[in-house]
Amino acid sequence: MNLSMKKRSKHQIPGNDEYRADDSSMTVANGRPSGLAGVSSRKSCRNFGGFSILDIAELGMMTALLEAGKHALDFLPNVELVALLLIIFTLHFGLKTIAVALAFTAIETAFFGFQTWVIMYLYIWPALVIIVWLNRRKTSVWFFSILSGLYGLFFGAFCSIPYLFIGGINMAFTWWVAGIPYDIVHCIANFALCLALFKPLNHAMNYILKITSR
Amino acid sequence: MKKSTRVLSGIALMAAMIALFALVYSKFGPKSDEGSKTYTLEVVDDTGSTASYSGRTDAESLSGIMDELVAEGNFTYDGSDSEYGLFISTVNGITADYDNDGAYWSIMVNGEYGQYGADSQPVSDGDDFELVYEKAQ
Repeated sequence: MNLSMKKRSKHQIPGNDEYRADDSSMTVANGRPSGLAGVSSRKSCRNFGGFSILDIAELGMMTALLEAGKHALDFLPNVELVALLLIIFTLHFGLKTIAVALAFTAIETAFFGFQTWVIMYLYIWPALVIIVWLNRRKTSVWFFSILSGLYGLFFGAFCSIPYLFIGGINMAFTWWVAGIPYDIVHCIANFALCLALFKPLNHAMNYILKITSR
Repeated sequence: MKKSTRVLSGIALMAAMIALFALVYSKFGPKSDEGSKTYTLEVVDDTGSTASYSGRTDAESLSGIMDELVAEGNFTYDGSDSEYGLFISTVNGITADYDNDGAYWSIMVNGEYGQYGADSQPVSDGDDFELVYEKAQ
């Protein structure tokens, strides 16, 4: 044990503390030894600004999945997989998922141009990652489904924050209220999608991590 | 607390929040008068030319008026549903392409910028609407 910890600390790099946090959360989440046994070896990859080559590859894959998930359901307003995928990613990869959320925002900006929603995205998706990370030891699919639903319900309220600075509280309140029907749809869709897909996606992620850590 | 109790409490909390939000929307959300209402609608295109329409309507939203004018045959528009409601892209054959040159169709209500999309902009008796072709600075 001591030897193992020494090995880990030898490879520890700034900003990589979340690895250890993730290891413990994975063990709890799966109720069995984590499939992330290879994580310590992942740390030995060369790193660039705190990210290893493997990290960067994983971030790219996760960002691609987010984009695919977003555009697959674009035809259904306020029904999206982004929140669910970010929850899954955060439970498995910890706070570095914030980088995925920011990369996702950058790509969306490249698609649609810089508008007010970009400012919203810059804080609203990282906020979800942090909320999930703070609850990473929870194991219940119901917990994350309810969290995802409430996040959808409050999405408009969170998004109205920039309007506080643009037009004051009246503008922010009016903007939020006008979008409440969409927020309710967002809430129900997030809840249902998480309830249906959390376990399969979690199992898939465990499997992927297990075979790639061999 | 048992797990099932916690789950039920969580679902009840979410349902209560949805009900609260729905209540807020019904009290403070966009409202419309019932019955016949008079309106004017002025379209200001990219050259500054205007086309004016007026009449009476029972439509509850601006897009309802626009649909009535389309049915009358002297007005056309096109748009798409977005996360924030109807996004108008073309009026009377003139397309505003924001991605190309920053142009867009703005909605003015009684001389001020509207707060809602055309499909949720309420119509009250005597409202003066404008659809103005504008470009972002």
